[in-house]
Amino acid sequence: MTRVGQPARDDDPDRLYTVTGGRSQAPQHAFDVVTLIVSEDEPQPGMQSEHARILRLCARPTAVVEVAAELGLPVSVVKILLGDLLEAGRITARHPRFVPAQAKLPDLDMLKQVLHGLQKL
Amino acid sequence: MTARLRRPTGAPVGLLCALAAVLAGAGAVVAARAAAPSAERSVVALWASAAALAWCAAVVAAVVLRGRVGRLRVQLAEGQARVEAAHAAALRAGTDTAAAVSEAQASRARANAARTEAEAARIELLAARSETVEARAEAAAARAAADDERAELARLAEQTIPQVVGRLRAGASVDTVLVEHRQTAHEDLLRLMAREVAYGERQRAAALAVCATAAGRVQALATSMHAELREMEHRHGEEVLGDLLRLDHSTAQAGRMADSIAVLTGARSGRRWTKPIAVESILRGALGRIGAYQRVRLHSASTAAVAGYAAEGVMHALAELLDNATNFSAPPAEVHVYVEELHSGLVITVEDGGLGLSEVWLRRAERAVSGEALDLTALSAGTRLGLAVVGALARKHGLSISFRPSSRGGTGVVMLIPEQLVAHPEPAAAQPVRVTARPAPAATAPQSVPPPPITDGGLPKRRRGQTMSAATGSVAAPAAKTGRPETAGRFGAFRQAVQGPQSVPPHPAPPADLPKDNS
Repeated sequence: MTRVGQPARDDDPDRLYTVTGGRSQAPQHAFDVVTLIVSEDEPQPGMQSEHARILRLCARPTAVVEVAAELGLPVSVVKILLGDLLEAGRITARHPRFVPAQAKLPDLDMLKQVLHGLQKL
Repeated sequence: MTARLRRPTGAPVGLLCALAAVLAGAGAVVAARAAAPSAERSVVALWASAAALAWCAAVVAAVVLRGRVGRLRVQLAEGQARVEAAHAAALRAGTDTAAAVSEAQASRARANAARTEAEAARIELLAARSETVEARAEAAAARAAADDERAELARLAEQTIPQVVGRLRAGASVDTVLVEHRQTAHEDLLRLMAREVAYGERQRAAALAVCATAAGRVQALATSMHAELREMEHRHGEEVLGDLLRLDHSTAQAGRMADSIAVLTGARSGRRWTKPIAVESILRGALGRIGAYQRVRLHSASTAAVAGYAAEGVMHALAELLDNATNFSAPPAEVHVYVEELHSGLVITVEDGGLGLSEVWLRRAERAVSGEALDLTALSAGTRLGLAVVGALARKHGLSISFRPSSRGGTGVVMLIPEQLVAHPEPAAAQPVRVTARPAPAATAPQSVPPPPITDGGLPKRRRGQTMSAATGSVAAPAAKTGRPETAGRFGAFRQAVQGPQSVPPHPAPPADLPKDNS
């Protein structure tokens, strides 16, 4: 997602199916793109490097889409990797859609300013 | 003979005659005595007796003479017979002599003829002997010539032809090669052979070039397909991810096949990586190119990396070894890959649980990956293409590969990547980069990069397998290493801005604060 617009360069030797071990389906209903992930464990030596990076990255809560951007992997692949970690109990997932309705959302102008600010970066 | 026969009959006849004469005298005496008067009887008787006695004597003498004549006649006859016999003998002897003379003449003539023949034979013999001598001389000359020829041939076979073939193989043209061998005995032969060899060599080179070009095109196609597939994998959701991954996998295997052909035909390898590739990526890159990758288990805690220029070769060789391992172990059995960092380099061990290679195959495999130059004729049916590829790659990159029976029952393949191909990333990069300590890496990363080597001209020197920016370490490296946390920080700020208008800290809040925000 974050790579849209970049030239189609394939500068990584490992293919995605080797990253997921051949799986292409994430566990159902476990994550969506904005689910916040928090690691519950330190990375262990010998761990798959993506798992280790997720654990390091999610030392503070991070959204799935952020993890995907950070790892440079498609969200669907990241969901599979997160599913592994969740199953092993190394992360916990929190769903921001349960944020109370009274939480104030920023108004549209604010968002536009932020967007402009981002584009200027 | 007749005289001798007549002789015994003559005597009795003589005796009878004598007796008859005696008797006749006696009778005449008696008669005369009787007739004569008695007075005169005594005188007549005396005279008659004397006459009778004379008569008897005459008769006896006649008889004796007659006997003697008879004997003489017999002797004469004998003599005549002897003379006749002698005459006959003489005649016979004469004829014999004549015959003997004629025979002698004939034999002399024969002897003469024989002599002339002998003479002729001697002449012939002499001629034959001289011919023999000539022939022997000719034979000796021929033998000497044959020896020369043989020596020439031996020189041709041992020196000239290998030299000519070697130069032709090295790419020289026929005329260039044959310049040195003008005016030699076998120039025509040599020229013919050189033309044939050069033709065969051109054919081989053309076939190899065609294969290499085709393989290169397939490689390029596979590479661009990989890039497009990766882009699609990012762009599309998980509903098509499985299909895309399958396509990706097939493309990777096709690419490996093209890489194998490129390696065997001596073309350049498919890709060059501009950065060191971590061992985990090496293993997974190899894994992704084989069919049964899901049966391979990786056991690696290594943080080392393989120099970019050798990474593709190492991955390809490892992929061929993994392919062999998975092909020769039955489907449920897993193949295990272990990585060990040694002083001399990096050891990657592939162990399968198959039947194991027989002694013969083990030796053949060892030979295939040994340092011997690749012989394309060894790629006949039944030989594994993969091991030839591994051998070629091992020679190219100095990998050492050995086979041994695995303790798990199958075969263990040990690949040693020499130390000069192994890069050890700086510990700072391998350390967990905590977002809370985000400013620190930005400050430490440039310091952790060793000062780039400087050439004599004062320019930064690029190490093999490194880009210039990686070598200078000032621009690209921090951006690569610390850029991501920066991005994450921005996203964190964005999210917090989304969640509430309350004061946004310049740095993301510690993890403990966030659940509060979310709850």
